Formats: sequence, structure tokens, C-alpha cells
Amino acid sequence: MVKAFRKERIVWIDLMITLLVLEVMSYFYYGPRSAVLAGMCVSAAVIAEILSLRLMRRKFTADDLTCTSDALIIALMMPPVIDMKIAVLAVLFGALAAKNVFGGRRNMIFSPAAAAYVFVLTSWGRKLLLYPEPHTKTGLFDDPEGLVSSASYIYNTTGKVEHTDFELLLGNFTGPSGAVSILLLAIAAVMLMFRRNISVGAFLGVISGTVLFAAVTPVAGTRAGSVKYSLIMNMVLFASIYIVADRRIAPKREYFAFFYGLFIGIISYILVLTKALENAIVIVSVLLTPFALALKNLEKKIEMADYAERAALRENTAGAADLPEADEKEADPHE
Amino acid sequence: MFLITDLIALLAANLILTQALGTSTLFIAAGNRKNLIWTACTITVFTTVGSVAAYITDRNLPEKYSDYSLLIYTLSVGILYVILLSALYFISRDNFAKTRKYIHVSAFNCAVMGTLFTISRKASEDSSLMNLGSYIRAGFEAGIGFILAAVILTAAYRKLNSVKVPASFRGFPAMLIYLGIISMAVYALK
Amino acid sequence: MNNRKTSVFDGILGDNMVLSSLMVISPVIICGDTLKNAEALSYAFTSVTILSMLIASFVPKKLPYTVKIIIYAMISSLVYIPVKVATQEFYRGAIDRIGIYFPLLAVNSLIVLQSEAKFFRMPRAKMFFSLFFYVVGFDIVMLLTGLIRELLAYGTINGRVADVDLPVSGLSQPFGGFIFLGLMCGLYRWIRSLVSREKKEMRSEPNVSDN
Repeated sequence: MVKAFRKERIVWIDLMITLLVLEVMSYFYYGPRSAVLAGMCVSAAVIAEILSLRLMRRKFTADDLTCTSDALIIALMMPPVIDMKIAVLAVLFGALAAKNVFGGRRNMIFSPAAAAYVFVLTSWGRKLLLYPEPHTKTGLFDDPEGLVSSASYIYNTTGKVEHTDFELLLGNFTGPSGAVSILLLAIAAVMLMFRRNISVGAFLGVISGTVLFAAVTPVAGTRAGSVKYSLIMNMVLFASIYIVADRRIAPKREYFAFFYGLFIGIISYILVLTKALENAIVIVSVLLTPFALALKNLEKKIEMADYAERAALRENTAGAADLPEADEKEADPHE
Repeated sequence: MFLITDLIALLAANLILTQALGTSTLFIAAGNRKNLIWTACTITVFTTVGSVAAYITDRNLPEKYSDYSLLIYTLSVGILYVILLSALYFISRDNFAKTRKYIHVSAFNCAVMGTLFTISRKASEDSSLMNLGSYIRAGFEAGIGFILAAVILTAAYRKLNSVKVPASFRGFPAMLIYLGIISMAVYALK
Repeated sequence: MNNRKTSVFDGILGDNMVLSSLMVISPVIICGDTLKNAEALSYAFTSVTILSMLIASFVPKKLPYTVKIIIYAMISSLVYIPVKVATQEFYRGAIDRIGIYFPLLAVNSLIVLQSEAKFFRMPRAKMFFSLFFYVVGFDIVMLLTGLIRELLAYGTINGRVADVDLPVSGLSQPFGGFIFLGLMCGLYRWIRSLVSREKKEMRSEPNVSDN
């Protein structure tokens, strides 16, 4: 039990390190407004967590700090110039309606960040999907100007990407502030996978599903180009690390998690291909939550069956061990 | 690929997730998982066969008597209710006491009547849908949508009723919010 | 006296049909997005349910359950016709806005399921009062939902612009209705548990002071 709690904290620290690095990159491209947005989100998450835990008559422990990583994920999925109130409402929705209503971190059903993103998308879609160009610094209280559609939107609708590979790797293109730094995301994915902080199966499942379908039915241009851009655009890499491969949501067994991720990858790719749906992976991850839960139920049943089988075996072995002893006793002429 | 697009279309047209039709019935049946699936299957029978009655009514009822359509739909569902109960009784008298509850719950509710009205409204808006095949298909799809919603709810059943959920939200309120978030994702697909 | 009070008034707070048993929630979720819709729907629900149940209470109790249910549904479908005509008079345009949820009120679970399970087991006078308060309970929730959702989703109150800084348009959608109603149910249960705890404490107080 103690080990499990410690593990949860270590996972949170590792996640926070990678998220803070992405936040630094966002600060570099969009200035202090991005950092203030992240700060507001984290503060709102902590306050919401403390209040809801108090209502549930639970104590706020270091493990409950996982709410801050969820808040940071939400901030990094939004344009840095978004109305702060929208960001705070999103965090409150994620923390309260998508998490604590179901019992908090001990009984997670949805990824709070994914649910919060979909909430903002359905209520303030236009504000969420218009972004400033990189290196455009907007003042803290200024109204954002010159907002444009993301590179993902242009790719989904025209099949064209007007950025060099170098720009794409460094995140020098329009999109959510934290989900565009591809090189950093790739490094984060490797680090988190090796440290077992994310579900390797789910992450590889998403990547495999996207690569497979991007190669078989390319969005536009060459197959290699389709594979490359399908992984880079629409927050696929970011969401596959921080949302789909979230250990709290994905099935425990890696091969179950792989299929969960695979379906998310395939369905979101098809939605991008057929409906040009921007950032479809986040929506699909919420939609496939029942699938993850069903797989978890199956895991539990398998565990129970294994346990019952082992108990029966142990009983049989004990019975078998008892039998010769009794025979020996009976056979002993001196008794 | 077509299977997935069909599945997405089925979700996007789901009567529970998009129109909340039959939500109360879903929650009544949510008392246990077995009930939920059986009720959903019985509702599919009602929506499919009921759609035939709706077609006959819509085809023959003059426009000025359209207010009477509810009465005729109710009568049709009532007749179907009696036929299904009688059939169940003659098929297996031993299981009749156990299984009749599914028919009682499934007969008169928003899922069945709402489906009939939805099909009828769509057909009045688009005359190409005014044929028996379209009615039956729409009725069957609505039933399948109900089964899908039941499966979605069943998957989270244990978590939504867990002791870890705050007592005020355990059960129905948690189910509503859970369905709401799934419905939100379905809405975002549009 | 106390017992009688709780049983008759139960429908408003103690056993609210929407918040406690989740009955007739589809119209609340879909049509409860503005006060005008809520008002029209409350009127229709009140008229259809009370009239239908009053007439249905004269149906012989000896009939088989299935036959009685079908008769109740037929009665409410008949009552629906004059109520619809009256609604067209008093709430112009309301029927278009409410759409298919208006006829669906005629087969609501209060008439189809609860009539046999609960109301028709009571003496007629008590049944009438109890039913009235159940219907009032529904109306209160419906109007409250319409008011709050309209304010938060559109930034208006009964069509008049209110000073709302950031309307949450999603609340006007069905998913907003699901989530809002879920949160309201939770809040209702929480308040109910607080009240019952307080009552228990009040009951135990004299014992403590006696000691």
C-alpha cells in the first residue's frame, strides 16, 4: 500500500517535470501570458481539490497534488491567449464534474483533462480553436489580435503543411501551446515509458493505430508524409502520452491497454480523415472511456478467476500433502 | 473503416445520448446489469414492431386528425404489449413470472413512444423516408442505440455504485453525469 | 399528524419525483433550457397528469394489471388532446419548441408506473393531495432548471438580457441538461442527508440533556 502511494507521487513528479518543460517552451513562444494561464489553472485545481475533499471529509495529501498535473495538461492544450475565466471553468469542470463527483483519484472514470477540453470545445469552440502565431507576445490584459486557425486545421482540410521538419520538431507552428513541441514530447514519451509512468501498451497502441491507418489510407500526399503529419498534428502525440496512456484510466495489462490505444488511434484518424475533426483524439478518448472500463472489468474477472484457481490448487496440494501423511500414520506399525 | 463510421453515426443518432429519450427507463432498469440488457433488448422489439404501426398510422391518418396519432400509437403499443405477454406465457410458463417484468417496463415509456414520434417527424420532413423499410430500420436503429447506451452504462456500473463515490452522488446522480460527459463527447463529434 | 404531513408533502422535497427517483427526466433535460419552455411544459404536465390520474382512479381495480396500464395510457392520450388545444391558446409557439416531448408527457412514469404502485393504493382524497404535491415538485424542479440553465447558457432570464459575463452555451444542450440534473440530484441528496442528520441530532438532544 505504502509502495503504491509512493509510486503515485513519483509518477506525478515525473509527469510534472515533462509538463513544466513544455510550459517553458510555451513561455518562450508566447511570453508570460502562457505562464500566468498555467498558474491560474493550477491554483484553481488546488482550490477545487481542497474544497471537494473537505466536502467528502477527506484530507488533502501529497497524492492529491495529481490535480495540478491535470490542470497543467488542460492549460497546455489551450491557446495561450484564451480567456482566463474559460480556462478556470475548464479546470473546475475537470476536477469537480469529471473526477471528484465519482470519488476522486481513487475511483477515476474519465481523464479530467480530456473531459475539460471537450467541455470547452462544446461551449467555446471558436475561442479554443483559434491560436496566436508563435513569437507573438500578448500582454496579460490585452485582447488577443491576429488569431489564426491551427496548422492541424489547415492539414486536415487541405492536406498541406507549410512548415519545415525543423520547425515542426521545435514546435514553431500554430497550435495548442504545449502540444506542438514534438521533439520534447518524443523525449518525454521515451522517458515516461522507461520509468513506467505511462501505460506503454496504450501509448504504443495509439501510435500503431495512427501509423497503420495513415499508411493504408493517407490524408494527402505520400504515405511517409501522411504518417509523419498524422502523428504530429491534432495533438496526437501529446494526447497519447498524457491522456490515453494515463495509468489511472488505461487498462492495467499492457496488451489490453494496447487494444484500447489502438482503437483510439484508428477511430480518431478516421474522424480526421472523413470529417476533418480537429484534435479528434481527445474527444475519442472520452468516448472510449466505457471501453477502457469494460476492459478493466474483464481484467478484474481474470484476476478473480486466477485467484480462485490458485486457491483451489493450493487446497489440492495441501490435501495431497495430507494424504501420504495419514497413510504413513496408518502404515506405522508402532502407532 | 465503414464499420467505424457506421458506429459513429449510430452514436451520433443515439436517442438517449442526443435526445435523452428513455433515460428514466434506463435508470429504472439499471437496478442490475442483467435487467439492463434484457430491458434494452425488449425495447428494441417494441421500437421495431411499433414502427410498423406508426407507418400504418402516418400513412392513413388524415392531417386534420394528427392530434389522434398519440392515441393510435398508444393503442398499437398496448396491443403489442398484450401479444408479447401472451407469447411469453405460451413459450415458457415457468419463466413467465421472472421475465414479464421486462415487458412491463419496456411497453409505455419515452424510449418507445419517443422513437415512434421521432421517426414520424423525420418522415414528415423528408418524404423519401415515408416507406415501411425506412420506418422499420429507424425503429431497429433506435433500439440498438438503446442497447448501446445500456452497454455504456453497464461498463461503468461498478464504478458508479462504488463506496468510493460520495454518498450524495452514488448511483443515479453519478450515472447522469457519466452519461452527460459521454453525450458531450458525442455532441463534439458533430 | 406528523406522519400524514410527511406522506402528503413528500412529493415536493422528501421524495421529489425528478431529483429522487429520476422520473420524467427527458423533458427536464431537453426542454428545461429556458424558462418559457419550462413554464409551458410544467403547465402541460400538470394538466395531463392530474386529469388523467383523476379519471383513471375510477378504473375498476379488479382488472388485470396489463389491461389497467393500457387503459391508463389510453386515458392520458385522450386527455392530451384538449390540453394541447388549450396550450396552443395560452402558450403560442410553445408546442413547436417542446416538440415531441409534449405528447410524451402523456405516457410519463407517474401515470404508467406509479399510479398502480403507489397512488391508487391510497384513499382518493389523500391520493389527490399526494399527487398534487408530486406534480408541484416536478414543476418546481422544471422551472428552477429552466431559470438557471437559461441564465447560465444564454445570459437571459425569461428572454430578458441579464448581466452574465461568460455564457456557457453547452448548458443549453442535452449533455448540459444531463450534467446539470446530475449535479442538482447530488446537491438535493446532500441537503436531504444534512436535514435528516440534523433531525436525528435534534431527536437525540433531550436524551443528552437528561443525562
